[in-house]
Amino acid sequence: MKTRRDFFKLAGVAAAGIMLGVAPVISPAHAKISLEEALKKHLGVGLSAIKESNQIKIKAPSIAESGANVPIQVSATVPIEKVEALYIFVDKNPNPFIASVMFSPVNGEVFFATRIKMGATSPVRAILKLKDGSYLMAYKEVKVTVGGCG
Amino acid sequence: MATIGRAIVRVPKRLKKGQIFKLQMVIIHPMETGLRKDPKTGKKIPAHYITHVDFYLNDKLVTKINTSAGVSKNPYFAIKMKAVESGTLKIVYEDNKGGKWEKTVNLVVEG
Repeated sequence: MKTRRDFFKLAGVAAAGIMLGVAPVISPAHAKISLEEALKKHLGVGLSAIKESNQIKIKAPSIAESGANVPIQVSATVPIEKVEALYIFVDKNPNPFIASVMFSPVNGEVFFATRIKMGATSPVRAILKLKDGSYLMAYKEVKVTVGGCG
Repeated sequence: MATIGRAIVRVPKRLKKGQIFKLQMVIIHPMETGLRKDPKTGKKIPAHYITHVDFYLNDKLVTKINTSAGVSKNPYFAIKMKAVESGTLKIVYEDNKGGKWEKTVNLVVEG
């Protein structure tokens, strides 16, 4: 380095390189996604922006016989015309996003049932996105003794 | 071992106009997360899962389900529908490896 100016130039390039991700970064092969990250990715908002509502009902076992196959059923009394979509998340799964359902008035009612995988004891969340842009949520904690993700 | 992508769809045989009914379906699919290791080789089994299921009533898209590998193997789905009119319910579903399938069901609506 001949001058201080050269040093700063080099430092600048290195800094730019790190910002572009050129610098080596050790990342886990399967990075676990947090609930908050999953919510931001799929809904664009965090948990704090979502209100709990007793208009949404979740049917799920309190204790899952098998983490590989947990039956869940979501229904809501919110009129179908007001609903855009339903999202299902499991907080503690490696990827908390499970499924989303985009409804139309032809569905008649907000209803969705499926079987999901759960890696560990965790809340199962049902989040409704309404056409006015707001979100409603209900959750139920399901205990898992034998995990079903990997 | 049933073929991957085969689906069984159940709807009521006869429907009255305006009736809200349940549609149930099961798709034969491994729904691999990509996190599981093959016990013999120790290598990770690649992710292979249904990504979405689209429902068309008389060619109009009425419901869309997006899924991750967090849905169980041989995924079961149930939704509700209003018996608006007789017609063809076409269900189109795909997985992350380019698998694409279609299942058609006739809806008979009286009244």
